Amino acid sequence: MRLKDCHNFYDFRKLAKQKLPSPIFHYIDGAADDEITYARNSSAFNDVDLVPNVLRGVENVDLSTTIFGKKLDLPFYCSPTALQRLFHYEGERAVGKAAKKFNTMFGVSALATVSVEEISSLIDTPKMFQFYFHKDRGLNDSCLERAKAAKFDVMALTVDTITGGNRERDLRTGFTSPPKLTLSSLFSFATKPMWGINYLTKGKFELPHLQDFVKEGTDTNTSIGNYFSTMLDQSMNWDDAEKLCSQWGGHFALKGVMSVEDAKRAVDIGCTGIMVSNHGGRQLDGSRSPFDQLAEIVDAVGDKLDVICEGGFQRGTHMLKALSMGAKACAGGRLYLYALAAAGQEGVERALNLYKTELVRDMKLMGCTKISDLNRNNLRFRNA
Amino acid sequence: MSLKNCYNFEDFRKLAKKKLPAPIFHYIDGGADDETTLKRNTNSFDDCDLIPNILRSVGEPDLSTTVFGRKIDMPIFLSPTAMQSLYHPDGDKASARAAEKFGTMYSMSTMASFSIEEIANISSGPKLFQLYIHKDKSFTDDLIDRCKRANFDGLCLTVDTLVAGNRERDHRTGFTTPPKFTLESIMNFAMRPGWLFRYFTNKKFELANIKHKTDKGTNITKSVIDYVNEQYDPQMNWEDAEYCIKKWDGPFALKGVMSVEDAKRAVDIGCTAIIISNHGGRQLDGSRTPFDQLKAISDAVGDKVEIILDGGVRRGTHVLKALAAGATACSFGKAFLFSLGAGGQQGVERLLQNMHDEIRRNMILMGCKSVKELDRSKIIYRN
Ligand SMILES: Cc1cc2nc3c(=O)[nH]c(=O)nc-3n(C[C@H](O)[C@H](O)[C@H](O)COP(=O)(O)O)c2cc1C
Ligand SMILES: Cc1cc2nc3c(=O)[nH]c(=O)nc-3n(C[C@H](O)[C@H](O)[C@H](O)COP(=O)(O)O)c2cc1C
Repeated sequence: MRLKDCHNFYDFRKLAKQKLPSPIFHYIDGAADDEITYARNSSAFNDVDLVPNVLRGVENVDLSTTIFGKKLDLPFYCSPTALQRLFHYEGERAVGKAAKKFNTMFGVSALATVSVEEISSLIDTPKMFQFYFHKDRGLNDSCLERAKAAKFDVMALTVDTITGGNRERDLRTGFTSPPKLTLSSLFSFATKPMWGINYLTKGKFELPHLQDFVKEGTDTNTSIGNYFSTMLDQSMNWDDAEKLCSQWGGHFALKGVMSVEDAKRAVDIGCTGIMVSNHGGRQLDGSRSPFDQLAEIVDAVGDKLDVICEGGFQRGTHMLKALSMGAKACAGGRLYLYALAAAGQEGVERALNLYKTELVRDMKLMGCTKISDLNRNNLRFRNA
Repeated sequence: MSLKNCYNFEDFRKLAKKKLPAPIFHYIDGGADDETTLKRNTNSFDDCDLIPNILRSVGEPDLSTTVFGRKIDMPIFLSPTAMQSLYHPDGDKASARAAEKFGTMYSMSTMASFSIEEIANISSGPKLFQLYIHKDKSFTDDLIDRCKRANFDGLCLTVDTLVAGNRERDHRTGFTTPPKFTLESIMNFAMRPGWLFRYFTNKKFELANIKHKTDKGTNITKSVIDYVNEQYDPQMNWEDAEYCIKKWDGPFALKGVMSVEDAKRAVDIGCTAIIISNHGGRQLDGSRTPFDQLKAISDAVGDKVEIILDGGVRRGTHVLKALAAGATACSFGKAFLFSLGAGGQQGVERLLQNMHDEIRRNMILMGCKSVKELDRSKIIYRN
């Protein structure tokens, strides 16, 4: 199987599985506990049907949307995800350049493997920095100042990882970062020699945003679950978020809001956006899916800040449904991560182009030429 | 397995799979994206139950209904489908003859492999022509004029194919028309020598209705998808539809209406029928199914136009449920294409016979003397 055989999300996933050592594949592919929420994140879209309108003249479709004051050419963007150089040796460089090509937002994780400074020298298109609230306030300040100096457009504070999720696949495969070669994982690394060669020869693996502050940043083998549990400040509260919001002084979002009440409170503390998200099902299993929860949240705060639906997107039609429901934009991790693992920048570009092509086609079939044409009249729920 | 072992949709499908080269089988069998709408089209009938009435001295039930100004002997007819000679060399001729024999309607696609005139010459049964509006407007005028001269009964304009659907099975099998023999596909074709023999010994593959207008009609070594995207007019709007209605000046339907709003507008511009359809799940995946949407549309316009339910129909009981929910008749595509692939005209006849018998039997079990007696009191929706 090669890149040109990838026609959809599932194909990229297959190719990624072929290319990655299994602990790394399962780190991307897995989620919390029984992965029920993870599965529901995507299947939720199947409980609602699209109702197209006909004969509307749809030659030119405009997919652009504006979030955080920035116009994006696509109504979806790349969510911040950790450790991208484990997936492909170019890591964030590949994803950033692909996002730039399509003029959409690129989310950079606090656990990125390429620095904010380098990213900002590579791309001038919209950028989001995802912030983790550490116990070490010096580290927090440093992250914030560096992102500001690097001219990032948006700061997103992740609020759903106050402790590590129970990712059972990682327990079984022995996933650590950087990868530790245990006997049990050795075999799977040995069977993917290209990955190994690239990993070892294309620059040292590091976490540039953390490394000046902690040993966890570079050399000690640690699991991500450990990082969440030991380094993040579990006492983080609304006051901390509010302070951070004013310290940042620009567009600010909470990532991982799921209740209407919290969404309202996000408005009160000055957020200009929220990501309705359960971290791709990787944290609290059994929690509600973003799409299931979207309508309530849009109804409550949709006119006051940008509501972004994040997680579960595998198709253009999934995005159409979320946008019809009232999301300003869609965001996802796996929708580009498998492609990154499959073929680096070229892979991510192919994936973004595929979703874009699907969206253009599906907009035409819906009889819509711009994102604002989509609304709840386009949707019917199966059990209503 | 042979034709005489075919009792239902799945049997015809299996036999067609055995007889057709894989790219061609999957062109019929596949849908858009994840095929969720394709599956739901049929499954949606299962969310609705029939309630029989008893002791009604039914006798011989009357299955006839009237569509496009013609009485048809059973309430289901053949949907327009492209390039039928890929499935059997007799193509449209076989389906038109079989439909006439059972007193039901045959529909011809703009992309048919026989011409309007060729079919008019061999069949005087009820005939519907399906129109695609091309960027070159003279196509439309030409087709409508010819249908008039050939005495077609009705015209339908397909409105759900402004752009080709994402049929991933076709990407994988490398389906093109006429079939391109690449190394990848050659094995598939080689394993079906009967099909190959017939394909090469019969008349040359062509899109008979449009070949004089475009070199694309004969020699597209490209996929239908490219054809749709290059030739169909994505700017088509309500004025274009109205233009067709005026020019045709006879029974007229829009094919692919799904929203109540559009159904009302179809009435306003003078349609005599609408075909509720998502193109058999081949276009917009995730879109609602015809049967799920039928009730709302029938409530809005059922007293003003004929409503044809198109998509997912596999069984006589599906037809009964649709008529009870408010449809005037149903049409089906894949079901008859598989029977065509399985056995040509004989295959389609067997399918129509099965369908006729199922509808008749189930009407009797329901206690209905005629299809007019099928109304909402005969069904209950699960939720
Ligand atoms: C491998 C992986 C790593 C992730 N790392 C981070 C992270 O560092 N920070 C963060 O806020 N979210 C992280 N996420 C969550 C994503 O931002 C996003 O919420 C999630 O992927 C959305 O679900 P989806 O993968 O179904 O699109 C990660 C997700 C994945 C799959
Ligand atoms: C192989 C194939 C070709 C088709 N070609 C056309 C066509 O040329 N024009 C059109 O309006 N519909 C076309 N359709 C759609 C059918 O008219 C009909 O809407 C659909 O098949 C109904 O769903 P069913 O197959 O579940 O019965 C085609 C369908 C199939 C399966």
